Amino acid sequence: MELDYTFMIETFYKVWGGIGTTLGLTALSLLIAAPIAFYMAVLRIKGNLIGSGITQAYISFVRGTPIILQILLLYSLLPSFLNVVVKALGSDFNVFDSVDPFWYAVVVFSLNTIALLAEVFRSALLSIPKGQLEAGVSIGLSEFQTYCKVIIPQAMVVALPAVCNITVNLIKGTSLAFLMTVKDVLAIGKIAASYGYNYIESYLDVFIVYLIVCTVIQLAYKFAEQHVGAFRAGA
Amino acid sequence: MNSTRVFDPSMIVQVIPDLLSYLDVTLLVAVTSILLGSLLGMILAWARTGHHRVLRWIANGYIYIMRCTPSIVLLFIVFYGLPKLVESMTDYDINDTNRAVFAIITFTLLFGAYISEVFRAAYQAVPKGQYEAAVSIGLTPFQAFRQVMLPQATVIALPNFGNSVINLLKEGALAYTIGLIDMIGKGNLIIAQNFGAYGVEIYLACMIVYWIMTTCIAKGFLRLEEHLDKGQSLRAKNPAQAKARILPVWKSVPALMRRIQRQG
Repeated sequence: MELDYTFMIETFYKVWGGIGTTLGLTALSLLIAAPIAFYMAVLRIKGNLIGSGITQAYISFVRGTPIILQILLLYSLLPSFLNVVVKALGSDFNVFDSVDPFWYAVVVFSLNTIALLAEVFRSALLSIPKGQLEAGVSIGLSEFQTYCKVIIPQAMVVALPAVCNITVNLIKGTSLAFLMTVKDVLAIGKIAASYGYNYIESYLDVFIVYLIVCTVIQLAYKFAEQHVGAFRAGA
Repeated sequence: MNSTRVFDPSMIVQVIPDLLSYLDVTLLVAVTSILLGSLLGMILAWARTGHHRVLRWIANGYIYIMRCTPSIVLLFIVFYGLPKLVESMTDYDINDTNRAVFAIITFTLLFGAYISEVFRAAYQAVPKGQYEAAVSIGLTPFQAFRQVMLPQATVIALPNFGNSVINLLKEGALAYTIGLIDMIGKGNLIIAQNFGAYGVEIYLACMIVYWIMTTCIAKGFLRLEEHLDKGQSLRAKNPAQAKARILPVWKSVPALMRRIQRQG
């Protein structure tokens, strides 16, 4: 098979330029999702029947449906919905032209990540023995303080490998943002590909970029794990 | 985009029969990929646990690369690259092959990598003494593997296998991007017929179908797990009770279906 190597190298730099969008989308979604997911995890552990039921249904629905459908649904729903809201507020802001699809992508991936992270946080919190909470309270900390200073730091260490998996999956998942006309790595590759029908070269470029990004992220998490897990080394 | 039209819930119910008639394509792709992928996964797991260094290295590399590749990128590479590769090697044009074939190849490659990890972990979770004990009482290594290691590893692998199956089913939804007319492909056709209207309702209908499928699969695997768990874990019921219900898998699945039906 003949590959057009000059095209491939040229495109590689172009595709590499999309990495900011991909990583920005991933980081923003994670940052938005983490606090909400944590709240949901707490709701599921000690919330009342209704709160925990609703979160459970949400988590089950998000985890039980393909992300591509979530993207398609929200991308056909959000703009019109936003338009109605803006119109109701009496503003003549044009939603369809002036909102960058990047923000719709942030909403979709945040909503998805919330459900995944909530499950991880819940099992991480449950893995901390109850004695830790009792010990914290018995030496005079409030329950909130105990959570912040004793339980959460330990739970985060437990959750780290799973969070690494979620991050890698999210990076891979953001490749679907091209359906929302976001110019991420895959979208740039796709545009370059259809320009000269060099599909295979340009998708191979995209493939290499993802390989590099995922390797770096995994190494970073491994490094973090070794550092924050230091207290467990003696155990 | 039609922003004045109100959301029409009755449309969801209306399109579901239409969508369900294409469910077989979705399921065909998923089931074939799961079967072929499990085979590939077994080979990879065997290579990884074996003593041959080159094989181990290849298997590790393959699994690592697959874990880092978005499924849609792999799908595009297979869909555009494979016909070119085959043509350059054999002068045979496979461009007109059914698109389901490309989807199946892609998801087999992916599923094999994911599932080999599950198989390997499950196999290594069975204590080695079990194998040694089986060989020491005169079983051949293959018999020991087949009759002692495999049944125990199956129970351990089951929860993760179920998860991987559900993930594959969800990833299979990507197949419409290469033009396969599966359930979502059909949904998009209906939307196109209505000049872009009813997008929200049709996508919601697809999601409901997927949600029901994944929930049923998850429940089914849970039942199967309880069923195959013969007193090893804490969850297992009274061994005597469990023993009375031991059935081979090919008998236990229909029995399970009957039980689910009876419970309504």
